[in-house]
Amino acid sequence: MTTAIEVRNLSYRYPDGREALRDVSFTVAEGECVGLIGPNGAGKSTLLLHLNGILPDGPAPVRIFGETGLAARRRAVGLLFQDPDDQLFCPTILEDVAFGPDQLGLGREVVREALAQVGLTGFESRSPHHLSHGEKRRVCLAGVLACRPRVLALDEPTSDLDPRGRRELKSFLRELPVTKLIATHDLEMVVELCGRTILLDRGQIIRDGPTLELLNDEELMMAHGLERPHILRHWHPH
Amino acid sequence: MHHDFLDRYSRLDTPLHRAAAGVKLVGALAIVGLTVAAPLAAVAYFVAVLIGLLAAARWARIPWRYLGWRLLWLEPFVLGVAFLTLFQPGGHRVFAGIMIKSTLCLLTMVLLANTTPFADLLRVLRQLRVPALLVTTLALLYRYLFVLVDEAERMHRARVCRTFDRRRAAVWRNLGTVIGQLFVRSTERAERIYAAMLARGWK
Amino acid sequence: MHIPDGFLDLKTAVGAGVVAATGVGLALQQVRRQLPPRKVPLLGLAAAFIFAAQMLNFPVAGGTSGHLIGAVLAAVLLGPAAAVVVMTAVLVVQCFLFQDGGVSALGANIFNMAVLAPVIGCGIYRLARPVGRIAAAAFAGWCSTVVAAISCAGQLALSGTVAWGVAFPAMTGVHMLIGIGEGLITALVLAAVWKARPELLNQPAAPAGGLAVAGLVVALGLALFVAPFACSWPDGLEKVAEHLGFDAKAAKTPLLASPIPDYELPGIGSPVVATALAGVLGTVVVFGLSLLLARSLAANKES
Repeated sequence: MTTAIEVRNLSYRYPDGREALRDVSFTVAEGECVGLIGPNGAGKSTLLLHLNGILPDGPAPVRIFGETGLAARRRAVGLLFQDPDDQLFCPTILEDVAFGPDQLGLGREVVREALAQVGLTGFESRSPHHLSHGEKRRVCLAGVLACRPRVLALDEPTSDLDPRGRRELKSFLRELPVTKLIATHDLEMVVELCGRTILLDRGQIIRDGPTLELLNDEELMMAHGLERPHILRHWHPH
Repeated sequence: MHHDFLDRYSRLDTPLHRAAAGVKLVGALAIVGLTVAAPLAAVAYFVAVLIGLLAAARWARIPWRYLGWRLLWLEPFVLGVAFLTLFQPGGHRVFAGIMIKSTLCLLTMVLLANTTPFADLLRVLRQLRVPALLVTTLALLYRYLFVLVDEAERMHRARVCRTFDRRRAAVWRNLGTVIGQLFVRSTERAERIYAAMLARGWK
Repeated sequence: MHIPDGFLDLKTAVGAGVVAATGVGLALQQVRRQLPPRKVPLLGLAAAFIFAAQMLNFPVAGGTSGHLIGAVLAAVLLGPAAAVVVMTAVLVVQCFLFQDGGVSALGANIFNMAVLAPVIGCGIYRLARPVGRIAAAAFAGWCSTVVAAISCAGQLALSGTVAWGVAFPAMTGVHMLIGIGEGLITALVLAAVWKARPELLNQPAAPAGGLAVAGLVVALGLALFVAPFACSWPDGLEKVAEHLGFDAKAAKTPLLASPIPDYELPGIGSPVVATALAGVLGTVVVFGLSLLLARSLAANKES
């Protein structure tokens, strides 16, 4: 089994001195879907920003499919930001989704495919500020998928979505074969999509294990600002 | 904020809309240039331009009422300065000339805005080798203008909810704080956008 | 102060356009040299910010409201070169999207509000900074508005649209008042940013070369638009007096209201000098007001 993500002893301090991550180590195998949970301020978003080198490495470099080089990592990791407005920075949908592919020389076909994948064919010439929140999310997803990443890192993908939006995104992610690391508060989505979960609190990994085992541990969840999801109260493992 | 009044009709599908942005831009600039340079005596020219613009509007299916409404909105600013022209010998002629010319030019530019999406104009600028830094700034400005205006409105509204001092000084101070906060948030957002650009391979 | 189409004749529009393009080109060069890549999106966001700030209404009196131009605000927060780029972007979008300001007048508008205002405003700010940041910014904001108005008047006069004798006092007078709002708002906003993130106000001083070149461009432009009329000013005023039907010399109440009740001060007979003096007085008064404002804002910060 190929290792898609390898993080070893990663520590990071914010510019103002606060500790964000402390000695974080974990690996993710190719094709795995791993949930990253924890209370607000645990460092989930910060951790994701280290995968493709936006934030600097610690003593041991982050490896994506064995590569440590920034260019290779950036190519391999597709990062979906929490606020679509931060990621959707071009005047039209087409230009935005094409932003990555154009720089990689991938041609416009991948752009059309990506838009079709997220169900936004025909939106090419629209302006971002005319779209709904869910549509903006989908455009961001298309923009990331158009770069053909091997790893998908998502930061709160279902926040601010209406129930239908959430359902659609969840089923979409379920079908997607790439390696996934999802930072989220949506514990039900974690149960449905992720076989494995990492619990992060105050920059440290508290537990890293099978999702059901972790999320069923009521004491552990409550101790770290979370709770046991209702979906598990009547869960019968089969 | 409802802002689509600016280019509400820019995404219709008519032959004029489908025409190349560069052509429309050059055409609009030509009309403005000629109108500005034309002597006041060239009445025939002015009438021809007016008819031409109205015909173009009809062809592009832009309602005349909308044009009239936009002009009504913009004219007071023109009148304000035009008023000064009266204070000189022969001022009445100058005033009339200005009103005619500025109205025709306004009409031209409103038509341009409503037949050409701003993103297309940016593309033309890029082709004309306008420095990339300026074009990127224009693109980001256009993209985030209304995001920021909405944010400022929300902040202002939230602040007003907890301001019990009705005096003007308090309103000014509130607005000043909101604008200041808006700048701080804008710098932070700029950082996040930079990260998002990097994440998709920007150099 | 956005000049619409039709107010400037072609020669003035093209001339202003050339000067503006030079100024903006120089600014872009300097920004490219000095701006780290991570700050590139900041230019666009700052432009959106200035635009958004300009849209907010500051209630003045009755139904009127004041608005910010923001040239000095941009210059203090981003440095003069970046401020030129940002203000230019704002004016371009205003012209094409909002039809605020004519496209034939774009060169002139850019020169007035995107080159003159931030550069001169920044220069004055740096000169006055020892007195106190906020006070210096308030004063610089006022100055930038007035200077832009003078240049605008010059352009209108050069085009033969408005007589210099009318344009100058009208534009300058009105904008001396409007400039108070500009200075006030600039001070309020900077005080707020200072309170929240003081490090955003520390601008590394640009190498002297950049500002000097900019100053030269600015001075040239000013000379183009303003100097030719300095001499013909008294005649212009007399013509206006004739047109309005009374003789200025015989008038009991002067044409321009001034704190100096009589033009005929001992030793100062010419109305030009008298008005110049009134202008200087006005400037000093505004400077004093800026100091008071800064003091009151600082007091608020402590309380």
